[in-house]
Amino acid sequence: MKLNTALIRLLTAVVLLTSLLWGQESTVKWQRSAPATQPELQLFHSPHGIDLPTATTLQKWDMEFEISHRFIPTTSSGIEGFYGLDGPVHMRLALGLALSNRMVVTLGRSNYNDNLDLDLKYKFLQIRHDRIPTLLAVRVGGAWNTDPQYREIAERSKSDIHNFQFFGQLIINSRFGKKLAIGLVPSYLYNADIRWGPETDDSETKDILRLGTQLQYYVSPLWSILVEWSPYLTGYKSLPGQENNPLSYGIELETGGHFFKIFLTNSQYINSSQYLAGADIPVENNDWRIGFMITRLLKFSKKM
Amino acid sequence: MRTIFYFLIVICLLQSSFAAEYQVDKSQKNMVKFISDAPMEDFEGVTDKIDGYLFFEGDNLLQGSEMYFEVDLNSLDTGIGLRNTHMRENYLETEKFPFTHFTGKLVKADKTAENSYQVSAQGKMFIHGVEKEITVDGTMSPLADGYQVQALFITPLTDYKIKVPQLMFFKIDENMKVEVNFYLKKAEKK
Repeated sequence: MKLNTALIRLLTAVVLLTSLLWGQESTVKWQRSAPATQPELQLFHSPHGIDLPTATTLQKWDMEFEISHRFIPTTSSGIEGFYGLDGPVHMRLALGLALSNRMVVTLGRSNYNDNLDLDLKYKFLQIRHDRIPTLLAVRVGGAWNTDPQYREIAERSKSDIHNFQFFGQLIINSRFGKKLAIGLVPSYLYNADIRWGPETDDSETKDILRLGTQLQYYVSPLWSILVEWSPYLTGYKSLPGQENNPLSYGIELETGGHFFKIFLTNSQYINSSQYLAGADIPVENNDWRIGFMITRLLKFSKKM
Repeated sequence: MRTIFYFLIVICLLQSSFAAEYQVDKSQKNMVKFISDAPMEDFEGVTDKIDGYLFFEGDNLLQGSEMYFEVDLNSLDTGIGLRNTHMRENYLETEKFPFTHFTGKLVKADKTAENSYQVSAQGKMFIHGVEKEITVDGTMSPLADGYQVQALFITPLTDYKIKVPQLMFFKIDENMKVEVNFYLKKAEKK
């Protein structure tokens, strides 16, 4: 009996000693309770290419101010016209607001036809693939040409329905590694030529479908080069002065979420509805317009 | 034998009753702020996503002291979403290193006032895949069921192989100030 008691005490002592020693190693109870935050997937750094949108969106309540220029004289104007920089210019001002981390609404105005445009972009799918991450977004919008500069419709009321244009774009973005981003932007434009209507005895709506394509190579965190080409697919392509496929190429400078692009383009048009109708200079002419776009991000909400 | 048995029981009881673990109280307003002076505007990244623990034995903060604190870098907010993306992708590389952490122990705890300790922690800071031995000075203020911890220290970005970011052509200061202010509460027994 005595032996049994001693044995039990010995075993208990061993267990206690073991638990004491073991306890020294496992006394900390803390464990990570949540995985790392998963931020929104962004592939192109900027929400915009040159004339085509990207699937990149802003953070909720961030605002974006944009100013863009297309110098109307071409580089062939030489030093006398300072390669087009003497102007005149088509210019656009726009203000975007992120209603959520995936939705941006933008109001813009350009001086060509005193065009007011409103669009909404929504990123609806993020595929976090290791090698080929992909984003899908849609952008829909309308534009109101409040002061069309065409003699045929000079008498038309500003608010005439024929002065309105509408467009829809599907945005497919992907990126290979950190350096090369590509985008496909099938784009539909309704009422490509605002001159149709009772004044011109033309009752056929002018629609056009283009395949926007874009490519951007990020040379460093600061610099990148980008190219856009939007070939005609189907629909109306005979808009006088806009029969050509738009092609633009240039460089982008990025500084902490703000972007500056300078580029050459064969199009003088600047708003989506004008751009999608077509460019005015054939690429084979090798005559280009200089353009730029500056976007500055602003915070609408309180900081943490 | 009986004496040894009771001695071990007492030791075990003391061990369990005096060892204390304090974990970050996520219900409080915790803050970790990275600040860098830049020529045009100061650059700040802020988050409340800090987690971890401080462990020590008995009443002495230094005895058996052990700590681990980590910050979720994907949650850093510079005030502008696309700037956050730019910072994460190009500088912090958070896809590879989503957390930064400090692991070490308290090496100094001087009571400077009724409700305040001047403390020093020594250990390893892990940022961007690089681990560096550092000492951080700060204060710990006892609360009803925990501590408030405050510290301010300098982290040279180049020590951690982080390229110095540029804002509007100007490089920001490579010496990043790190300000922490968070709360610990006693870990509940499981």
